[in-house]
Amino acid sequence: MIKTILNSIFVEPWPFWAGGIVIGLLVPLLYYFYNTALGVSTGYGNLAKIIFRPRNLGWIKSQFPDSWNWRVYFIAGIILGGFLSARFSGRPVLTTEMGQFTTLVGWPALLSALYFFAGGILLGLGARIAGGCTSGHSIHGIANLHLSSILATVFFLIGGWVSANIIRILLMGGGG
Amino acid sequence: MGKNAGFFGLGIIFGFALSRVGASEFDLIHGMFTGEDYKLVGVILTAIIVGFIGVRMLQAGKGTTRSGQKIQISHKKLGRWSLLGAALFGIGWGMAGACPGTVLAQLGEGKVLGLLTFGGMIYGTYIYARLKENNPEL
Repeated sequence: MIKTILNSIFVEPWPFWAGGIVIGLLVPLLYYFYNTALGVSTGYGNLAKIIFRPRNLGWIKSQFPDSWNWRVYFIAGIILGGFLSARFSGRPVLTTEMGQFTTLVGWPALLSALYFFAGGILLGLGARIAGGCTSGHSIHGIANLHLSSILATVFFLIGGWVSANIIRILLMGGGG
Repeated sequence: MGKNAGFFGLGIIFGFALSRVGASEFDLIHGMFTGEDYKLVGVILTAIIVGFIGVRMLQAGKGTTRSGQKIQISHKKLGRWSLLGAALFGIGWGMAGACPGTVLAQLGEGKVLGLLTFGGMIYGTYIYARLKENNPEL
């Protein structure tokens, strides 16, 4: 009995509702403990400051006076959570595999690296212009019934639908 | 427990949940857009409903944090370019099969290509900071 429960928490993939409940609970928990909105992408500003050390960018100066604040610890925690999850289910420590991108696109390493880097640039730049990401807008914002976040999420989904289907047709041999 | 330690702990729970439910899998995000797999839609909708109920319960109670501070819900306003930014974000989401939270879980799982997405996000944020210098409305 206990073994089955532990197994379904630590080894087997979770059903959608289990992930949704845990992720959704973070919204009230972050307010209860820290009066803070759930959000991840702003923390990339901390990382940009730590890595690029810009001296004269007004936005970084005003928004990120303290590089090593809680956002960096939250980011570090998410990385460790992914690490623990992979360890419990016995996955390899490092892998170049990326699902259907690996099996159906099959690009050489350098081209794949450039592709994901480009995708990352759009995510980082887009999140800042949009004022948030999937967690800040789509989960936190919609949970609080904010129209701005509903609109942002609609445009997230339009962008994703366009790029994923272009990739599907041009790079993955189309169809299903 | 200090604030940083608390966020570190909640981050672990977040990353663990993202990874266990499969939100850090390229195929689950790609499949949500191509109609092959709608599991992620279920995850996001459940999270929204649970978040909604949780915040309502906090407000129906004392409406204060654990330390007695009044809870202030952060409200993101849209600027002139926000929806264009959201569309760019979406294009990146569909390309990389990751978002700013799930890519971190990918890093922990040892997905090497996720490291490129992660690096791109930091660089993209830096590009924003540069653009913002001459475009305050951005």
